[in-house]
This record gives sequence, C-alpha cells and structure tokens, in this order.
Amino acid sequence: MSTFDHRFSRRRFLQASAAVGATVSLGGITAACNVVGQQGGTFNWMTWGDHYIDSQLKAIEESDKIIANITELAGNAEGFAKLKEVKGQLDMISGDALWVPAYYDEGLIEAININDFKVASQLYPLAREFKIWTVPGGYLGYPFGWSPISIYYNPKFVDPAPDSWEVLLDPKYKGRVVVENQPEEIVAYMGKASGVEDPYNMTDDQLATVKGLLEQLKPNVLRFAQQSIDSVNSMISEEAWLITGNLGNEDRVKEGGGPEIKSFIPKEGTVGWMDAEMTVKEGANKSLLKPFLEKAEQAENIAANFLAQGRPLFNEAAYKILVNSGEKDRADRYLYNKPETVNSMTLKGPGLSTAKSIQLFNEVFGA
Amino acid sequence: MSAEIVGGAAVAPPTTMTIGRGARLRQLAPFLPAGVILIGLFFAPLALMLVFSFWQTNEKLDIVATWSLQNYANFFDNPTYVRTLAKTIIIGAGATVACLLMAFAIAYFLARYVPRRWATIALLAIVVPFWTSYLLRVYSWQAILGEFGAINQVLMGLGLISEPSRLFVYNDASTFIVLVYVYLPFAALALYASLERFDFTQLTAAQDLGARPDQAFRHILLPQIRPGIITACIFVFIPILGEFLTPIMVGGANGLLIANLVSNFFRNALIPEGAAVAFMIAALVTLLLIVFRRYLQIEDVVARG
Repeated sequence: MSTFDHRFSRRRFLQASAAVGATVSLGGITAACNVVGQQGGTFNWMTWGDHYIDSQLKAIEESDKIIANITELAGNAEGFAKLKEVKGQLDMISGDALWVPAYYDEGLIEAININDFKVASQLYPLAREFKIWTVPGGYLGYPFGWSPISIYYNPKFVDPAPDSWEVLLDPKYKGRVVVENQPEEIVAYMGKASGVEDPYNMTDDQLATVKGLLEQLKPNVLRFAQQSIDSVNSMISEEAWLITGNLGNEDRVKEGGGPEIKSFIPKEGTVGWMDAEMTVKEGANKSLLKPFLEKAEQAENIAANFLAQGRPLFNEAAYKILVNSGEKDRADRYLYNKPETVNSMTLKGPGLSTAKSIQLFNEVFGA
Repeated sequence: MSAEIVGGAAVAPPTTMTIGRGARLRQLAPFLPAGVILIGLFFAPLALMLVFSFWQTNEKLDIVATWSLQNYANFFDNPTYVRTLAKTIIIGAGATVACLLMAFAIAYFLARYVPRRWATIALLAIVVPFWTSYLLRVYSWQAILGEFGAINQVLMGLGLISEPSRLFVYNDASTFIVLVYVYLPFAALALYASLERFDFTQLTAAQDLGARPDQAFRHILLPQIRPGIITACIFVFIPILGEFLTPIMVGGANGLLIANLVSNFFRNALIPEGAAVAFMIAALVTLLLIVFRRYLQIEDVVARG
C-alpha cells in the first residue's frame, strides 16, 4: 500500500467525506433556520375555511414571506383528535370556546401573552379577558369570531313567524329543513328544544327525550348540508324553507339572488361558538405565528372577512371601519357591536355525552 | 463433506440445507416488494383497526386500551346498524347488477361491432368523466335531479307535471342512480377487456351446431368472460359498501348508508366505535372476496394473462 493509499484508505476517505457532508448539512440547516427566523417561512395551520381570505394570505406572503400551509378543519373533535396524533406537525389550530381549555389541559397548546400582540389592542376588551381562556401563564388563543346558532326561515312559506326550535319539528314542513352535517350539534339543538341547559352533557333521561324529538325531526330534514354555503344555496333555490346556521345568512341568501329570509334565536336558548387561534406547543414553526397574526388580524382584513362571511368578529377596530364604510346596519344586525352576547350562549365544548349523542343520531337517522 | 449414514439413511450435511433455504429465499425475493406493500398498506392498517375496535374512547376522547366487545355489542344490539348495513348491501348489489347490464351492452357493442380505433375513442369517452372531480360529478346530479333541476324543468316544459316533483332526489332511488353513474365506467372497462379477447365466431359456430342464441350466450360467452364479470363486480360492489359522499349529497336525511354512520363516529373522534362498524364492513368485504375467488377460478385469469 502506498503512503497515499495508507493515508487515504477507502474507509478513511468515506469517513472524511461523511464528516464534511454532515458539517455542510448542519451549516445549511442552521443557516436556513436563521433565514426562516429573519425572512419568514412556512407554518402549518389547521383551520376553518372562513378564517382567512386568499388575497390576505397572499399579501402576507409577499410582504413578510410567511406562508400559511392550511389544512381544512372539519370539526372541533376531529381537530382535537388529529392534533393529539400529529402534535408538532401543526403550528396553529383553530378551536371553539370550551374546546380551547381542553386542548390546554391535554398539553397540546401553550398560552400566549395577548398583550404582546400590538394588533390585540384592536380587540373588544372583553375578548382579551374571557375567563375560560385565561390561565396563570397567559391567554389560550387569539380571539377571532363568534356566533349563536340561529334558525332562518322563508316567511313566504313559514307562517306564523316562529320563535322556537319546535318549528323544525312541525309536520307542515316535511322535507323542508336543511341542517349542517354535524350530528353532535343536531342532537344539541334538540337538547335545547327540550329545555336542557347543557346539551353537550346530557343524562340518559334527557337523551331519551331528545331521541323522541330527533324522530320528529327526521322526516322534516331534506338533507344534511356539507357546509354552510349548501344551506344558503338551498334557501336561495327555495328547496328549503328552514335552515340553521351562524348569523349573517340573510344577506348571503339575498346576495345569491334568493328570497328575503328572516331569522330568530329560539326562545329556549341556543348553542353558540366563539373561536380562537391556538399556538401548538410542539409546533416547529410557531415563531412565525406572532408576525403572521399581527398582519392577518389587522382591522382591514377582519372587516373584509366580515363582509365576505357575515358573522360577528372580535375586532372592534374592524367594526369602526364597517361603520365608516356604510355597513353599520349590517354589522349591528349581526350583533357585531354586542360581543357580550357570547355570555348568554351555551358554548360549544367537549361533552360527557358525545359518544351517546352520536349513537343516538345514528340510531335515528340510520335505516 | 460427505453425507453421513444414520440408521441406514443418508443425512445431508448442514451446508446443503443452508443452500436450499438460501435458494428458497432467493425465489421469494421478487415477492418482497408486493409483500411489503400488502403488509404495510393492507394487513397492518387492518390489524390496527381490529385492535382499536376492541378498545374504548373515554370522556376526553382519548383511546383507552381496555379490551372489550362493547363496540361490537353496540353494533348488534342496535338494529339500526344491521338494517343500515343490509340496506347498503341491497343498494350495492342492485347498483352492481344495473352497472353489469348496462356495461355489458356497451362493451358487447364496442367489442363486436365497432372497429378497434373507434372503440378506443368510445372507451375514452367513458373514461373522460373521471378527469373531473368526483364531488363535482355528484354535485351536478343535484342540478339534474333536484326540485328545480333539469328533469323537472323538462317535464314541466312538456306539460307532464304542473309543479316540480320532489321524487327524483334526496331518497334511496337518487342514491342508486348516482352510484350507477359513478361506477358504470369501472364495469364497462372490466367487461370490455374480457370481451375484446373473445372470438365471436364461436357464437356462430355454436348456433351452426344447433345451439339457440341464449344457449350460446350462456355456455360459450359467459364462461369465457367470467373473470371480467367478477372483476366488474369487485370494482363496483365493494367501493359502494364504503360510499358516504353520494348518500349524503343526493340521498337526503333518509338515504344514509352504513359508511355515513361510520363517518359520524370518526368525525367526532370516536375511533374505536367507528373501527368496530368499519371492521364489520371489512369482514363482509373479505368474505365476499373469498366467495368471488372461489367462483373466479384462478386458472381462468392465468390462461388469459
């Protein structure tokens, strides 16, 4: 073996190459991390489709080089279960009301200091102080929007004007009701109809009463809407005379060329949601969330979101923009200026009767 | 090394056994990729689902590894699940028969009477709908069957009805129609693949020998295209057992199938409960595949390449 061969045997050569490769790779990764920190990057966000507008995301991408990689969130329970599985693969997730502390109790999210966010000064003060979202370490999410579930009806066909959940059970409206495909919520509506205070934590007796109401409801339900726009479309075509949904559907139906419809909050009370963007504890790119939210939650974006989606949001400065741009009537009709209404709703949250509710729904709506 | 004589019999040295085992392993090597895929993508998820189906979900929606038959008991104790599964099987079987009949007519015509070049174009036309989204195709049926849809408009235009009928959509019939539409191309392609290899002069020969057309069809044609028929059945019937989008979109509140009930569990993070019902469907599918395989007769497929 020559001296050269001795000094650079195949093994030594491979070892040296591996060491150089690893050094270069580590250097590259470190550099990339620095670039991400300074110049943006991509974070993973599981959320509902109405929490953002594409043009808003594009503007942030162009100005701050922060890209939101969005996964559609179907429901709270599904999001909760998925985050338990994927953990750090997500950086931010949206959640409703009492689901938010449930995420925290499971150790899935971390608290933020809401007052660190400059944009948070645009929020209604009450939105920064919800007790259910306050923990010793801070606040559990960045507040976004809220709405009680209302019943919408077409006055041309639904007469007299209803004020109760019972209208959904009236045999006069057979095959004329469209509800969103959310079994637990449909069971909760019937819970409210039967006078149950907390329809997510029902006793067996209460569930038995609800079963009777679901059986009355079944022939009236034309179909289950996959998303809220399906419900709106069924009102536009007058295929449905009664739908359930968030605040703001009157205008969506009218803008879609449909009839004048009316809405009411049932006298027995209703369920409602208020949601927040939560920081995933193990999120690898969570450092991008603050700069992203500082831009995304600006009043101009929130006002545009309200006009597009039509349900109240927690940004008070956006309300002022709406008032100044001639949208006060619409904003007030949708209770945008009355965020304290959330305190009167039964808030969505994980319940003790979830499994039984789904069994009940399947039992009634199966063959 | 020579073989030892033990009790009058030659015992091969250990190295020979090692070589034999090695050779056998080498013979099996080509099956390794398929084996890995089968185990990784079929058996492992199935095993996982089976294990989950015996566990429970607690109030925090955590899966708790306490073994019990409760989820299966719920399935059998609640007649809704059995009824919905039976309904799914009936709709699936009906749609499969309808697809087979329609697909046979299409494939027979193309294979026997249409020149190969034109048949290819016709087949392409059958496949073209697959280039659009499944969701879009099902949505379009809402516009055709709906209360204010195309069928009602035509019927009202012809003066056959005075107001829109609600008979065409949001019921089991509309689910059936859309399922047939969605799965017809699968059946047509499977049957065409069998029929294009069939020598149609055999039918003439059979009739020359005194067979009636129906006898020639039953005894000459059907046995030779049996693999195509079985494949078409598998392609249509089994996916329908797992269909949840079509029923929810055109079936209405009364048209839900078993997969919709499974989906309700999974969407609410009740994974073990959903897994038990899903496993009942999977067990049924496996059983059906075993039955199909007995009728398929593997040599038919091998003989046809």
